[in-house]
Amino acid sequence: MTQPLVVIDALARSFAGVPAVREVSLTVGAGEIHALCGHNGAGKSTVVKMLSGQLTPDAGRVLLAGEEVDLRSRQVAQQLGVALVDQELSVVPALTVLENMMLGDIDAPLIKRRRAAAERCREILRDIGLERLRPGQLVSTLSLGERQLVEIAKALSQRARVVILDEPTATLSEAESQTVFAAVRRVAARGCAVIFVSHRLPEVLELCDTVTVLRDGRRVTTAPAAELTVERLIVHMLGETPHRLEASRQPDPDLTHALRIEHLRVPGRLADFTLTARAGRIYALAGQLGSGASDVLRAVAGLHPTADGSVELRDRAVPFRSPVGAARAGIAFVSNDRKGEGLFLDQSVARNLTATRLHKARTARSLAARAGLPEDRLADPVRALSGGNQQKVFVGRSLDRPDVHALLLDEPTRGVDVGGRAAIHRLLRDAADAGLVVVFASTELEELLELGDVILTMRDGRVVETYQGGTDGAALMRDMTEGKDAA
Amino acid sequence: MSLTATPPTKTTRASRTRPGLLTIALAVVVLALVPIAVTTDRFLSLGNARAILASTALVGITAIGATLVMIAGSAVSMAASQTATVVAMVFLATLDLGLAVAIVLALLGGVVVTAIQGLAVGYWEANPIVLTIAAGFAIGGGSVWFSGGTPVNAATGGYQILNATPLGLPLAVYVLLLLAVVAEWILRRTTAGRQMYLVGENRAAARAAGLPVGRVTGVAWAFFGLCLAITGIFLAAFNTSATTNLAGTLTLDAIAAVLVGGTAIAGGKGSALRTLGGALLISVITDVLLLRGYSTGIQILVKGVLVLAVVVLVHVRGRR
Amino acid sequence: MRQERLVPAAALLLVVVAFALTPLGTGVPLATFDIYNALQGFAQIGLLALAIGLTMIAGEFDLSVVGTYAVGGMIAVQAGQSSAVLGLLAAVVAGAVIGAVQGGLIAWLRVPSVPVTLAAYIALLGLAYAISGGLSVTFTNRDATLWVDQTVAGVFSPRSLITLAAFGLAALVLGGTRLGAELRAIGGDRRASRVAGVRVDRRLVLLFTTSGTLAALGGGLLCFSFASANPDPGLRPLLIAAVAALLGGVSLAGGRGNPWGLLAGALAVALLAQIVAVAYLPDWSTQLFYAALLAVIVAIDSPGLRRGIDRIRARTRTAEA
Repeated sequence: MTQPLVVIDALARSFAGVPAVREVSLTVGAGEIHALCGHNGAGKSTVVKMLSGQLTPDAGRVLLAGEEVDLRSRQVAQQLGVALVDQELSVVPALTVLENMMLGDIDAPLIKRRRAAAERCREILRDIGLERLRPGQLVSTLSLGERQLVEIAKALSQRARVVILDEPTATLSEAESQTVFAAVRRVAARGCAVIFVSHRLPEVLELCDTVTVLRDGRRVTTAPAAELTVERLIVHMLGETPHRLEASRQPDPDLTHALRIEHLRVPGRLADFTLTARAGRIYALAGQLGSGASDVLRAVAGLHPTADGSVELRDRAVPFRSPVGAARAGIAFVSNDRKGEGLFLDQSVARNLTATRLHKARTARSLAARAGLPEDRLADPVRALSGGNQQKVFVGRSLDRPDVHALLLDEPTRGVDVGGRAAIHRLLRDAADAGLVVVFASTELEELLELGDVILTMRDGRVVETYQGGTDGAALMRDMTEGKDAA
Repeated sequence: MSLTATPPTKTTRASRTRPGLLTIALAVVVLALVPIAVTTDRFLSLGNARAILASTALVGITAIGATLVMIAGSAVSMAASQTATVVAMVFLATLDLGLAVAIVLALLGGVVVTAIQGLAVGYWEANPIVLTIAAGFAIGGGSVWFSGGTPVNAATGGYQILNATPLGLPLAVYVLLLLAVVAEWILRRTTAGRQMYLVGENRAAARAAGLPVGRVTGVAWAFFGLCLAITGIFLAAFNTSATTNLAGTLTLDAIAAVLVGGTAIAGGKGSALRTLGGALLISVITDVLLLRGYSTGIQILVKGVLVLAVVVLVHVRGRR
Repeated sequence: MRQERLVPAAALLLVVVAFALTPLGTGVPLATFDIYNALQGFAQIGLLALAIGLTMIAGEFDLSVVGTYAVGGMIAVQAGQSSAVLGLLAAVVAGAVIGAVQGGLIAWLRVPSVPVTLAAYIALLGLAYAISGGLSVTFTNRDATLWVDQTVAGVFSPRSLITLAAFGLAALVLGGTRLGAELRAIGGDRRASRVAGVRVDRRLVLLFTTSGTLAALGGGLLCFSFASANPDPGLRPLLIAAVAALLGGVSLAGGRGNPWGLLAGALAVALLAQIVAVAYLPDWSTQLFYAALLAVIVAIDSPGLRRGIDRIRARTRTAEA
């Protein structure tokens, strides 16, 4: 074999003194599909960001075709032939497939040569098995999977040598994923180096030639996919001490105050979901992006107008197709998008804490104390707080409200440091002890095992398994990544 | 991903010092204005003070209402002039039923017409600019249709009491002050008012939190309608007849006052008292320029530049 | 069919049919003169509609165009007393500068366009008053006045031809280069266009410069035709131009529309005005037509309304199950 196309040599990067990636090295040859696996916080996204020019490494170097390169910015990375396809799509729905491919392409002539461009576009589409798309088709008429494929096609049209795919299939159906795989194989066959990041382990083994596993910022192993199994991958990812959930902690069947969800369905996202969640307990929905876990919470909170099924709280029907109705029935929702859909960033901490309260029975001061927020910051805009404190404000907003009976949280500690995380977990436990139904969705094993009294694993819009106790990280990971029938 | 929590120190200091910027800039404007104003012939006279207040009154009343709408995130209404005009017509046409009845009908008309637009913006998320352009055409066209294009005259002289000048000031000035206080009270002390800031700052968050976004928006617009109706009634009483272009440039003058008061166009920030200050500042500057013999053109030009400067300061501050 | 084509096509078709049918109501057959008049009306609002429409495609809203229109007219008349071409040139340069300054503020300081252009409108209005002393200024260059409105091929005039040419040029530039796609990308999803490498800020400055130029040209031509310049055209031209642009298939949310649609929208509005004139319909009926057309457009583009319909559908589906 000749010299590898991509050489990553001892890359390192830390955030605020905490190392996220420690001396990671790997090589990817032309035509190779190389998987990057690891649990949340293992350092995958940091590596991807450094490769695509979004973050500068503290140490280490990157070589492309034997030459050391300085990936200062995403534009520079693009010029050097490094293309990134990630969740934050750069395809614009308002444009056609062809226009999207030409958009921002530095090589494209200012004056369009329509015929030639369309021909080239068609050629690329054919190359990745997308003959059914027309260059003139509006991207807004395409499915999510097809948009992902257009993104890949776009990366190719800009003469990429290295294609990085960051969770390209997370929100796609099985069939859509297969088209993406076919496209990725063709990309590799054309001599590109492909770096593939995914949570779905079976698809990693199916698609990739080589797998590198990261844990706590370190490279644990690199091995040919053929020599690995899902079980062994999980062991590599979690290490030798898998976390365990002991038997159910609180046997307190308070059914009169329960949240009953029956046959909840969201077209295209959630197939069928039933759960009776009792007051005083914490229910954990374990599922990766696109598993439907977060859709359960959003639907119950009234944010999926097309949902159907039935939801009852304290034996009263919840009008769950409007957020106002759900809130009035006693449901409080903490979104995973703290900035976009959660806090009022320019308003004060005090005003955020009392935002949803009808009766100011409790002052902002006592609430701040309750949520563990420094008192002298009540008048500051929330924007000025750290991520952990912002999240405390977000959760604290729904605490100590007599009209709230169920608390739904989507990724309750996303972007929160370790200390803040423990504090938020304590808040949620207290809320449950005070008689609330608490349901949260998360992708982080430690959080699921630490906090959940009952854990439901989900994948592809369905529940895989319900654990009342006696499970461990490996089992959860298996359910979340490959589904029950594949196990 | 969990490691990308940003260190808070830098942003903290920045956002703590920034709110001062606009205040300082406005203070500079006012301080610069004082010597110019004081040395202007006839500026420091009771008559002139009265003139300033009187000229602020009508635009000010509309601007107070527009403040609530802008804070609640609906940007601007392009139908203010037409609404005030049609209210004036309703008022004058129904005067023969008695002053009280005419006032009630006029207020009701203004509130209903405007609140309907507010409900469409609140519940349907209709684009407020397109919607109010449409409403402006509908109201304007409708008013000509009903009035037949001829001026509507008062049937009786019962409106004269509205032109009273207790303590030397027009009644409208007292109403303006009262409305500013009421609006400020709504914004600061009532649930609906506090929710207006939240809905205006982040509509998606307000929706996810289960706040009644539609109703809050509707309330803001209904109050705006009330203010427009009061403006229309005073316009009618002052002019004693109403033609289709009675309210003139009310729409943009009111928005200018709200913007000079430092309210953000996207909502979430602002106050009724500051709008009052903005309206007064515009009036004072116009007055000084007038007394110093500058033409109407220069007066309008300076007003535009002032609005532009404040807008840039407010919004640059708002964006990082 | 896409909305950006459907709306202008439907609007234009409807109005053309109505125009063709007016003789049934009036009993007087249509003359080529009526078409000439309609095109004169088109020339009056066309450039303004194009200016505002282009900014709307990029998700911005340029309220100042009507101010630039007034200032442009004023400059064209004052500078064009001896040479009309020189007058127009001066107006166009002034318009470009006015637009570029606003574009700079909007792009580089990231200030929203509505308040900036509103403030600029007020300032420009003041400028027009200041230049003219608050009075209408008469244009004494009789030759230019006669030239811009002379009939060409029965139905056109140089003024309407220039307006048509501007639409043609815009269509050529936006359709033939990548600028068109970039403009819609900026309006449709600004974050994604930045990620994709579009130079958003430069494009915005270029866009506002263009809209200022077009508005000033429109104002200049109109004042030549009227043989006078009025310092305050009022808000009406802006509102009618906005109606034309919205009928032309753009939305205030941005990301949609093209010059051909805008052309259809402007023609539809002009023909509508001509129908009203030919049929001796009262002026308020035009306003009510505009209101009704906009109401339909507002309803189509309201996300909350769509969600409400989804909700009702989901509810009936549950009831059936």
